[in-house]
Amino acid sequence: MKKAILYINQFFAGIGGEDKADYTPEIRAELVGPAMLLNQLLDAEVTHTIICGDNYMGSNEEEAVKTILGFLADIEFDIFIAGPAFQAGRYGNACGVIGKAVKEKFNVPVVSSMNPENPGVDMFKKDIYIFPGGKSAAKMRTDMKQIAEFANKILRGERLGSASDEGYYVRGIRHMVWREDEQPASERAMAMLLKKLKGEEFVSELPIPKIDRVPVAAPVADLSKATIALVTSGGIVPVDNPDRIQSASATRWGRYNIEGVDKLGNREEGQFKTIHAGYDPAAADTNPNRVVPLDALRAYEKEGRIGKIHEYFYTTVGTGTTEAEAARMGKEMVEYLHNEGVDAVILTST
Amino acid sequence: MRLEMGNFPVKDVIFGDKSVYQDGILTINKEEALAVVREDEHITDADIVIARPGEKKRIVPVKEAIEPRYKVDGGSNFPGVIDKVERVGEGLTYALKGCSVLAVGKHWGSFGDGLIDMSGEGANYSYFSKLINICLVADTDEEFERYEQQKKNRAIRWAAHRLAVYIGSIVRDLTPEQENQEVFELEPITRRSKAVNDLPSVVYVMQAQSQMEEIGYNDLVYGWDMNKFVPTFMHPNEILDGALISGSFMPCSSKWSTYDFQNAPMIRKLYQEHGKSINFLGVIMSNLNVQLEQKKRSAIFVAQMAKSLGADGAILTEEGYGNPDADFIECFVALEDVGVKTVGLTNECTGRDGQSQPLVTLDEKANAIVSTGNVSELIKLPPMETVIGELQALARDGLSGGWADDEKLGPSVKEDGSIILENNSMFCGDQIIGWSPKMMKEF
Repeated sequence: MKKAILYINQFFAGIGGEDKADYTPEIRAELVGPAMLLNQLLDAEVTHTIICGDNYMGSNEEEAVKTILGFLADIEFDIFIAGPAFQAGRYGNACGVIGKAVKEKFNVPVVSSMNPENPGVDMFKKDIYIFPGGKSAAKMRTDMKQIAEFANKILRGERLGSASDEGYYVRGIRHMVWREDEQPASERAMAMLLKKLKGEEFVSELPIPKIDRVPVAAPVADLSKATIALVTSGGIVPVDNPDRIQSASATRWGRYNIEGVDKLGNREEGQFKTIHAGYDPAAADTNPNRVVPLDALRAYEKEGRIGKIHEYFYTTVGTGTTEAEAARMGKEMVEYLHNEGVDAVILTST
Repeated sequence: MRLEMGNFPVKDVIFGDKSVYQDGILTINKEEALAVVREDEHITDADIVIARPGEKKRIVPVKEAIEPRYKVDGGSNFPGVIDKVERVGEGLTYALKGCSVLAVGKHWGSFGDGLIDMSGEGANYSYFSKLINICLVADTDEEFERYEQQKKNRAIRWAAHRLAVYIGSIVRDLTPEQENQEVFELEPITRRSKAVNDLPSVVYVMQAQSQMEEIGYNDLVYGWDMNKFVPTFMHPNEILDGALISGSFMPCSSKWSTYDFQNAPMIRKLYQEHGKSINFLGVIMSNLNVQLEQKKRSAIFVAQMAKSLGADGAILTEEGYGNPDADFIECFVALEDVGVKTVGLTNECTGRDGQSQPLVTLDEKANAIVSTGNVSELIKLPPMETVIGELQALARDGLSGGWADDEKLGPSVKEDGSIILENNSMFCGDQIIGWSPKMMKEF
């Protein structure tokens, strides 16, 4: 019989609520909480339950992941289930973090369920299968059933359908399929054109994402009095990358102090480098000012052409990063920039 | 312009003493056929091999495919290429249906060459697995490009065209069955009946591959290199009748072979709807460019022509992906901006993991697209009993979907003859010309 493992938080393990959210990771070779339900529904034996406090996962992610992957190193399993996490944001995050790590390390399918409002959906739908779930534990049976039905399909080695066929969140993963009706492209194009000409509804086979255009801001009235900040998606970070910003599909950003610094030192000098995986890093590693033009801006500051340079530069990685994540990170940066009196930003891409 | 096609269905192809077509069986005198191939002294080695649907055969590197044709009134078959420059698209043309002549390298492949499996899972990836393929397997003395990734492949491509006409000429004195005769005719645009004129008017915009600045690699129109070309209005019959010749550049799954031009299913579909649901105005032949100004210039020409012709709608299609997506979207937007309702026909490049942006550039105005495949889909196939050509070409010669080595996947060609490749190298695999039964879905 195939084997499965379930990840749940401290609450569903019956350990406790918010007061026990710092509970450190634990593995039990038994069915804990919703594991009993999963075991009934699944065509596999749930051999272990992993429990971890949501806050512990949130604030000690690296340690928590390491511990849990350590638990699993010697255990055989065919599938990994996390949650359901309903609308609980930290639980959703935890399911996503551990699900992604398990999938990458052990190359097993990972299935979860979260309410559309759960921020974990947008953060992890690209990495693991997540089904739309209810708001609260009242939907436990329904949500777990949906997880189990899909998991059983995987376990039976059945051909899996598209996101809309199966019901999980669209992951932005597009693959080629052969149409069952074998209708050739020429006929599909003709049919689509006739509908478009008649003003009838049609479905494009390549939906263009809605482009969120930002109006151009009003010019800075007096540059010589303005505070200017440098922001980049080019991945320039201190050489030890203290905020562990990802090299691609970034979800994290950092800001680094440049007060009194005339130009960014390079990688060889142990100062700054790029971690961006989407371009040849040689030029940026040799001279990070090519991506974050602090040296040139400092000269302008000395010449009095700008008022002053803001004390920090802000950085993340643009490659593979979803628009949603980019927008969130941008909003978070803007909060700092506003609070600290920045008038304008030079945003460099690569 | 009126083109009559006399079709001769081919049920099998065999070799024999006399080249003859009888009861659907095409017999080829191999020596006579090879003499036509060897008219070019640059052909140093040549053989003809037959590959039928269902046979355990793998063909690689395939450089070109042509339907055997013959102009019964003695006119040019491939004007400006192997015949003199003469108008095509009218008169009587004979075609041998269900078969194609393939130009196959005996040893050497190049970037734009492709692979065809005649059976098994691999057969799903190319339209040409359904045809009886008359494979010209040849080598040449074109030393200047022998070890180049980009090859013009001129000698072998031209030889295949001559061979296609030789094979076409086998039926020259026969009369096709009534049921196998087709007529393609469009009245001049200003001379159409009210009933036809009242239907929505539609143009087909084709962006043929022409990105190589050096002459010799691009598609040819009446023998003219399409890199040195601005869009022009063409009668669809010209395309069906040999005016367009496929080039020798672009990852193969995105290419249109000469066979594709000769049989263009989108043109056939537009003809079928003409007078019923649309008024088919004709084809605006455009190209694909590398510089932004060139892309814009072509889009301006296309949109102006479509508007001046009174087009209400357009079907726009590109022979390529990546950089050409910019031409495609530029043209799509230009057409929409002059009020021509447009449907795009293209493939995508979403990466092996399916997570990349499907086209290099996107625009909200490109709101109606038919998608035919993902160039970077990874494909593993078991060995085949027979290889026509040379299997190593896939790994060694820089075919767009093959590789000599990869730290995770190893080489494209394994010791046991099994292969791993990207869809990129499937011969005209994404069938953007209109055949594709494939589409893209979100997973």
